[in-house]
Amino acid sequence: MSSTSQHLLLSPAELAYLHGSLSLITPGPIRPDGRSPTQFRPLTAETGILPGTNGSARICFADGTEAVVGVKAEVEKTPVSPYEFVASTEGRKDHTVTSTPQKKIRKSKKAPAATEGGEDEIAMEVDEDEEAAAAAALDKVRGSPDWVELSVEIPGLRDDDSGTIFLTSMLTEALLADGEFVKKLWINRRFHWKIYLDIILISPPLSYPLPLLSLTTHLALLATRLPRLKSEADEDPMFDDDWAAATFLYPRQDTSSGKAASSKSSKQTSTAAAAPPASRPPITLLVMAVGDNIIFDPSKEELAVADSAVAVSVAEGPSSESEPESESISATTTKRNLHLLSVRTIDPPSRLTPPGVPNSVNASAWGTMTAATAASAAAPASASASEAAAKHPDARVTETEDVVGVWKAPRGGAKFAMLGAMVAKVLERGGVAEEVLDGLEGVDLG
Amino acid sequence: MADRRRINGPVGATTPPIFDKPAAPAAAKTRDAIRKIFLKTGITPSASGSAYLELENPNPKRPGNTSLKLSCTVHGPRALPRSAPFSPHIILTTHVKYAPFATRQRRGYLRDSSERDLGVHLETALRGAIIADRWPKSGVDIIVTVVEGDQDRDSPESQKDDEGWDMMNVLSGCITVASAAIADAGIDCVDTVAGGVAALVCKDDKTAPTIVMDPIVAEHGSILAACCVAYLPTRDEITNMWFKGRLPGADMMVYDKLMEKSLVACRCANRVIVQELNETVRKGQGIS
Repeated sequence: MSSTSQHLLLSPAELAYLHGSLSLITPGPIRPDGRSPTQFRPLTAETGILPGTNGSARICFADGTEAVVGVKAEVEKTPVSPYEFVASTEGRKDHTVTSTPQKKIRKSKKAPAATEGGEDEIAMEVDEDEEAAAAAALDKVRGSPDWVELSVEIPGLRDDDSGTIFLTSMLTEALLADGEFVKKLWINRRFHWKIYLDIILISPPLSYPLPLLSLTTHLALLATRLPRLKSEADEDPMFDDDWAAATFLYPRQDTSSGKAASSKSSKQTSTAAAAPPASRPPITLLVMAVGDNIIFDPSKEELAVADSAVAVSVAEGPSSESEPESESISATTTKRNLHLLSVRTIDPPSRLTPPGVPNSVNASAWGTMTAATAASAAAPASASASEAAAKHPDARVTETEDVVGVWKAPRGGAKFAMLGAMVAKVLERGGVAEEVLDGLEGVDLG
Repeated sequence: MADRRRINGPVGATTPPIFDKPAAPAAAKTRDAIRKIFLKTGITPSASGSAYLELENPNPKRPGNTSLKLSCTVHGPRALPRSAPFSPHIILTTHVKYAPFATRQRRGYLRDSSERDLGVHLETALRGAIIADRWPKSGVDIIVTVVEGDQDRDSPESQKDDEGWDMMNVLSGCITVASAAIADAGIDCVDTVAGGVAALVCKDDKTAPTIVMDPIVAEHGSILAACCVAYLPTRDEITNMWFKGRLPGADMMVYDKLMEKSLVACRCANRVIVQELNETVRKGQGIS
């Protein structure tokens, strides 16, 4: 059982009422907690709460769910594959490609007959080869998905529960999708950082925890600092042991670089390192559709009547041109360069809700009685099979069509246009993703 | 004193010889269709429904080149154990398991996280199609075994694909084969659900990326983004969608095009399902 499908004790009548009020069109959806369709639950956030980590964050939603994320980094040796040499030279200009095999053949020919004196010469050649490869590899920073390990812990669920694994792979996928994050972990050709992201939901999962976990991870990564590298090139890495000199994993822009940055820093409480970073880690938002309405950040009750639910991950790249349109408008008008990283549909728990029974087929509401008497009066001598069908003329209707005010678990999927609209609504300028990023920008990163 | 009587292996790890130029990958044919699908239902007698799916091998002449081979069994609907709580719906359990020899890297017997993840995707895709309230208090197990993954074993280590793009192809195959197996088991569905993949691929840095259906991971230089969709063609609805990758620019154009292309792939796969199910029905009528 995934964590979405944990049973919520709502009766079919309550579900029908919720669904009806959420799919209203004229005044817009009416949500149980009075939010607007794009409004997030209020949250409190802080960073740097765990002293033993490279970066940490805690977010507490107003409904009482709370998550803590700790980021730990370790230096790890990059296993150098012999194929890497071929691959790194292959991408270069043609003359190097042609020259390398010759050198190699020479080396392999000499190797069996190598005497003590000849060995130095070979070693020299190998060094030369390696230097060329190093030069080629140096200008190409590479990353591997193995350098990130993400774990999610949700109380009451096992580690290998499919719901937990789904959350883990969704958050990992968002981090790795564009391949930019792992490039930040590259130290030199021989070493890299290995990042362990440990996400712990402290409270019981009162609602689907995806947005909470994603926002907490985002903040923790923003606050993550790595010791400053002192060594050069391919040496064994040496680090500055002054923590104050540590650099942020997502480096900040210079405060003096532009107007936008300065106006933002004045808005924020802290003055040092207040400018927002050039690029930022991804966030994953939960969007659901009820009828024709698109609703953000659904609570558990709302998710129980969703027609479809989608998790959308977006990230902000380096903003190309950030110029405020006018000074009077606040800094939120700066252009954000959002791009889509991943989209996944989520199995809405509404498919597991108990259906209601319409009065017309409900024996206790005298529904079937009237139908049966009418049928028997009309066709008294019909065959038993057709009689059974004629007994419940409404049964077929209730099976296939919706009866107003009677809850029925949704069948089928979402329309193509609806899915597209949900994703577009996340990405649109001035949309929810920007709003959330703006909100998180105000958090003091210490 | 070294051991002279035996021919000892070298000390320490060795690596197989490197041939400077790996055999050129077969030129990616510009096909505007998905690979041919072989689908057959009713291959496992002990299961209540089963199906087998195989994709056409793009270049069968080359050694070590494989295609996708999936086998699916459906057990149920059957009564839940007495201890289980009441459920107004059928309880769907999906397992996707790679055979240990299915991929380049050996898979253990325990399901790892990518297999469980595929299982959740498959469950989402099927739950929308099955009419679940016709079987209260019962359960059904859907087990997909990946006999051969969609990986090119010729490609050298340097071209190793760690990003898991082949998972998309496997998922779309799983959806198609499970849909046929469910129909074979006689479980009521609103429609047959078919899986399809489209990807944004880039040959090299110079050429503009193009969108292809049913991408063969080894054939394309690099895959920028891919999208796997489970689709109900008659109802024109999508039960599961999985997109990942990086799109150039923030506009929705490319995304929409990717989705449309994967829907076309779904329709192609659905034709195969419908044809096979028709054949099964005809055979059943012939016997009785």
